[in-house]
Amino acid sequence: MQWLQILVLGLLLGGIYAMMASGLTLLFGVMRVVNLAHAAFILVASYITYALFESLALDPMISLVITMPLMFSLGVVLYLLLFPRLEDSPRYVEMTVLLTFGLALIVEGMLTFTFTGIFRSVRPDYASSAVRIGEIFMPTSQLYAASISFALLIGLGLVLRFTKTGTAIRATMQNRSAAQIVGVNVRRVSALAFGIGMALAGAAGSLLSFMFPFFPARHWQWIALLLALIVLGGMGSIKGAVIGALLLAVASSFVSNTFGPTWSPITFYLTLFLILLIRPQGLFGAKVRL
Amino acid sequence: MPLLEIEDVVAGYSTGPDILTGVTLSIEEGTSYCIVGPNGAGKSTLLRTIAGFLTPRSGEVRLNGATVNSSRPDQMLAAGVCFVPQDASLFPTMTVKENLVMGGYLLNDRSLLRQKLDMVYATFPALAERKAQNAGTLSGGEQQMVTLGRALMVEPKVVMIDEPSLGLAPMIADQIFEKIRGFRELGITVVLVEQNAVKGLNAVEWGFVLDLGSLEFEGPADGILGDPRIRELYLGKQLTQREG
Amino acid sequence: MAVVEQREGTVEEVPGRKPGTRSRRVALIIFLALIFLFPLIAYPIFDSYAYVMQIGMLMLMWISMSSSWNIIGGFAGYISLGHGVFYAIGGYSAGLALAHWGISPFLFLPLAGLAAMFVGFLAGLITLRTRGPAFIVATIAMLFLFLLWFDNWEFIGGSSGLDLPFLQFPVQFLKVPFYYAMALSAIGAVYLSYRVAHSKFGLGLRAISQDETKAEVAGINTRWYKVWAFALSAYFIGTAGAVYGYSLTHLRPLTFFAIAVAARMVLMAIIGGRGTVAGPVLGAILIVGVNELSVRQFGQTELNIVITGLILVAALLFFPLGIVGSLRKAGRLPAFLDWD
Repeated sequence: MQWLQILVLGLLLGGIYAMMASGLTLLFGVMRVVNLAHAAFILVASYITYALFESLALDPMISLVITMPLMFSLGVVLYLLLFPRLEDSPRYVEMTVLLTFGLALIVEGMLTFTFTGIFRSVRPDYASSAVRIGEIFMPTSQLYAASISFALLIGLGLVLRFTKTGTAIRATMQNRSAAQIVGVNVRRVSALAFGIGMALAGAAGSLLSFMFPFFPARHWQWIALLLALIVLGGMGSIKGAVIGALLLAVASSFVSNTFGPTWSPITFYLTLFLILLIRPQGLFGAKVRL
Repeated sequence: MPLLEIEDVVAGYSTGPDILTGVTLSIEEGTSYCIVGPNGAGKSTLLRTIAGFLTPRSGEVRLNGATVNSSRPDQMLAAGVCFVPQDASLFPTMTVKENLVMGGYLLNDRSLLRQKLDMVYATFPALAERKAQNAGTLSGGEQQMVTLGRALMVEPKVVMIDEPSLGLAPMIADQIFEKIRGFRELGITVVLVEQNAVKGLNAVEWGFVLDLGSLEFEGPADGILGDPRIRELYLGKQLTQREG
Repeated sequence: MAVVEQREGTVEEVPGRKPGTRSRRVALIIFLALIFLFPLIAYPIFDSYAYVMQIGMLMLMWISMSSSWNIIGGFAGYISLGHGVFYAIGGYSAGLALAHWGISPFLFLPLAGLAAMFVGFLAGLITLRTRGPAFIVATIAMLFLFLLWFDNWEFIGGSSGLDLPFLQFPVQFLKVPFYYAMALSAIGAVYLSYRVAHSKFGLGLRAISQDETKAEVAGINTRWYKVWAFALSAYFIGTAGAVYGYSLTHLRPLTFFAIAVAARMVLMAIIGGRGTVAGPVLGAILIVGVNELSVRQFGQTELNIVITGLILVAALLFFPLGIVGSLRKAGRLPAFLDWD
């Protein structure tokens, strides 16, 4: 395969990772929460998409319309139920990590209980075809998923830049207490950010459902990857998450091509460790301690 | 009726000890105040409690007669109580203009926002010059001006400023106090917390002396400066701390 | 710590000793005796002797692991979710020593611990360049990196694993040597935890967990303190892994690297009381007990993970200090649990 082909495949995958990672880094930026359950919720959306496909033959891309609002509401409710309690805690960061860890376990258990550990996937017609542009082949499923991901990312960017809520979110990400001082209701913003992050997870779940087979314990591999991505890009930086995702996906695409597919996840972790040695705050992270 | 009444307020941070041990004082509209006292007296904590960052453990904070103990900072701002904290409360990667605009976050009227922005530029010409500069790259004095300018954006009834001269060279500090005196002309009630008792009390009409979380005494600002008790409070108390 | 004189002219305790020292000594002796005599006492009492021994071994194993984890996660406040790496290193190094050189893991134990500690030291140098949430992520990345490596390493059998020779021992007492080996590991871990807690090193770690900047400013070399804490926390997890691996006689990466392992270590330390000496021990005993009961009720199902997660969430929201911590805060901590 020529390098352009590999590059394109990497970019497609990178776009999807970028969308997944941006939800995660948004959460961290606004609330200083490392959501270890993010990938577990992505899986919830995948399973919902699967159920809708199997019972109603609903195209997974259309289920986005269902999974995104559903996950958004779930996110807001979960936030309000669990997090305000911990706000005053001196050990906030650790507590929230462990909390989301517990959530991930609960979600995984419930998914296994409901759907068992069998590999599932959603197989619409386009799942097995490929699109050809010039010399480049692109699996249709990845092309669709990447396009939707990029669209969502652009949408997120627009919301953050041009809406009042988006501005409030950005302000909170930059300096939480300053945002409070100018009148931002940071609790509301946090709940919204959690909702948006979960909505993005919902979209990711629906898209992933027809790209890779999934089973409940799979989320650990995803979360490890996404976390590596956001630390690499700089925690709390959406720009960093996107660039980090694209870079790493392309890099791992090349690695996979040269050394075999088992090596591609290693690319992510090795790169992370390398970056930690040279620049612990990541590409775009703040130099200040986290 | 006083604008702000603080009645026997006890407060502290998360699970820590009481910092405020029963403070009672009142703020009248249109007057300017300075809260002084030794380190650890609870001056900043008092401002934060009024501003809504801390909820009193007991006692009451009243704004225009209404209890506001459990109000959030954004609610207090909407009610006209603006807080300018000690540490960098600017958005470092936003420009001066964007920071000021953020100050007007609660304003929903674009033309009013424009109007206020122009007013702030008129009051702080130095900021008008630097409107496109990143706030993080400004000098200490300029940053302080941005925080003051930002406070003006929402036409607050009362502005509470925590240590306006902290980290500033004496000449710059004087300029800042000049600007603060200007707030009074705009009819804004000013409450300062100042470690530098002389500079602080010279800029206001009335002084509160806080120690160990409660009010030691109060009175006209120039009177307090001459009061022998204040020397005792600062110097006397400090010596004892060193021995202990 | 001398006890302050309550009334003039009377001193309640010997100067320099904490109140309750005697009852703690007694408790310790009883506990140790119980551990050593348990296999003998249990034999005539229980029908399913092997099962009971297995539970005993597991409890001791988790005591070893959660007490060790507590050194970095509790005392220093740095949450690591990657400690499964040390578990694996212990298990595999001992297993390889057995498979290739015929050395019994029981003899190899201290070296397995050292191997884990060595890796812990090196990994600590890298991961501890970050703090807070980035550190947690770095430990997860470490876990996955090692998992991927072990899964693909032919020498150790890759993902299908490595077979170990059986221990030649009378079948009905087969679990007993493992039990005692694990007991050594557990006692070592708790003793290490105790010594760290009562040392200047431990004080430094606590300072770091409260406010790292202030600790630095106070002259503590935070980097070395953290790296050593990380390394030390690996030792008795390695030894536990060595014994456990041997008891399974078949080593597979996933056994050691499963996230559930990290989850339980963390959960036990938190439930019992993070940052205390007795906490992880209590937590380990409780969780293993609860787990066994739930397995008998519901079977080895996914309900198990749900329960683990629920307990963790509930503990964080309502009992963040854990049992020992909450009791201490309420002033009702019985002396035999107060080892700090």
